[in-house]
Amino acid sequence: MPAIDVKQLSKSFKTQRKEAGLWGSVKGLIWRESFYKEAVKSVSFSLEEGELVGFLGPNGAGKTTLLKMLSGILYPTAGEVKVLGYTPWERNREYQRQFAIVMGQKNQLWWDLPPAESFLLNRDIYGVDPKAFERNIDEMVSLLDLKDLLDVPVRQLSLGQRMKCELVAALLHQPRVLFLDEPTIGLDVISQEKIRSFIQEYNRLKKTTVLLTSHYMQDVEQLCKRVLVINHGQIVYDGLLDDLSKRYVDHKVIKIRFVEAQSATPPPGLEGVVEWDAHHAVLKVKQKEVAATTHRLLGELPIEDLSVEKVEVEEVIRRIFEEKPGIEPG
Amino acid sequence: MKPPVTEAYATSLSGRWARYLRLYRSFLMHNLKNEMIYRANFAIAVGMDIVFMGVNVVFFAIVYGNVETIGGWTFHQTLILVGSVGVVRELAYLTFRQGFLQLGDYVRTGNFDVMLTAPMATFVHLAFRHVSLTESLGEGLMGLFLVGYGFAHLDAASWISVPLYLLMLFNSLVIYYAFSLTVNSMVFWLVKSQELNTVVYYFMNTARYPREIYHGLGKAFFTFIVPSSLIATTPASILAGRAEGNLVGLSIGVAVVLLCLGLSVWNWSLHYYSSASS
Repeated sequence: MPAIDVKQLSKSFKTQRKEAGLWGSVKGLIWRESFYKEAVKSVSFSLEEGELVGFLGPNGAGKTTLLKMLSGILYPTAGEVKVLGYTPWERNREYQRQFAIVMGQKNQLWWDLPPAESFLLNRDIYGVDPKAFERNIDEMVSLLDLKDLLDVPVRQLSLGQRMKCELVAALLHQPRVLFLDEPTIGLDVISQEKIRSFIQEYNRLKKTTVLLTSHYMQDVEQLCKRVLVINHGQIVYDGLLDDLSKRYVDHKVIKIRFVEAQSATPPPGLEGVVEWDAHHAVLKVKQKEVAATTHRLLGELPIEDLSVEKVEVEEVIRRIFEEKPGIEPG
Repeated sequence: MKPPVTEAYATSLSGRWARYLRLYRSFLMHNLKNEMIYRANFAIAVGMDIVFMGVNVVFFAIVYGNVETIGGWTFHQTLILVGSVGVVRELAYLTFRQGFLQLGDYVRTGNFDVMLTAPMATFVHLAFRHVSLTESLGEGLMGLFLVGYGFAHLDAASWISVPLYLLMLFNSLVIYYAFSLTVNSMVFWLVKSQELNTVVYYFMNTARYPREIYHGLGKAFFTFIVPSSLIATTPASILAGRAEGNLVGLSIGVAVVLLCLGLSVWNWSLHYYSSASS
């Protein structure tokens, strides 16, 4: 049985249009034009227990809405979801004790109290056995380097420190399923890295099923083998991150450095030149022509260094999002 | 399959009550720690409450300087009535009131999310989240004093009425909670809850008048639609030796019906919570 099973899930919000300006506001008191905005359109996918899957999509694509439906915060307009066999929006207590959601832009900790106090409260809410509680805290505190921060009021913590504490608070009851919505947003590079490796380690040790959204490609590249790409409320890709580039991009990037200064113009007939100067050159070449082009370059020019690289995932994603909604992958 | 670290979830009714009592203690401790951070605020709040209650007593003292009884209530009986309102208010702050005052913010910012994901009933979580011992402490202490003072000066005071008085205070608390819950359910459409809590505030303000001053439609309105006339009058009647059996029955009936209504309206309203996008 998959840990998460989503079938034909849709969610639309009723929203109102209001003209800008004071007059628009006055008119809005009497009459508002309301319309339905489809945030998620007939989405289906499933995750096996222990998988760590990344959710990619631009702002407003429906990622957060989806996570909120899986957490039982929002009710869907249509569709079916089973997480660990439970329907999330029935808010069964047994389900609630087996999952956690952490949102990078929200704060669940008590603002004026030290994080240790919030942990204690969560222990009581989730009914965590005191011994297991101590063990979990110790384990996570050392993984995240939080020892000296447990007694500092939350409002005095930096964003990165707070985020780490949010993670600890959410994981105290050892959830089997974990939803992470932008866990690294707004953090400095070091904190990002720390949280990333923590998530990786945690997933490896506990076999927790993790569904993660992020704006930072690095999060996804480091953590997830499999990705779901969502755009305009629809899943446009579900598969391995590695295959994503293969499927959407049929070219590679060749970078070369010359031994000595060359003419600043490329030889005639050479295709796919992106950059060319006296010392360096970058070419974008179709997959099947990589070998031929490389051969020609090496034969004709005094080359010191040559590398063939994949197009960066970030660019691949950008290409997907620039296309029209509802494209069929492949 | 349960995660090994959490205790078995209580399914029996008594088990659930025990669990929620433990949770209440835990939330109360956390809120106390929180309140102690702002000591000055605490002292001002208590002082203001005592002044407010004093004004109430002066008001009734002036009225009773002119008339013997209001709706059949003597001055000392009225002190019990006014005092009981103060006690119910303090009990409400001790169990749920502050949470409802914050609800609008929770819904607007999307922080209400956590109440939907934690393994406890949302309507309990919201109530316990901001329980406050001090918020209305002055009012509560003053109320207790007035009740005691009025009781001591009654001609026909009877200690036997005390347990029933306490029970009916609890019943009044249930009515107050159920009314707050019903009215506040609208927050999921309005997103702001300030006006809703003004309604609840006026509801409690009319509770300090004896129920006997209402007649006909007015009485029906303040019994069934806005049941504020029962909140103080029922317990105070018992302690003041004016109780009628059917008033007790009526109050319990209204409490049960209103609580059921409140819970269903609330649970239904949760469907319309739209969270806030991050």
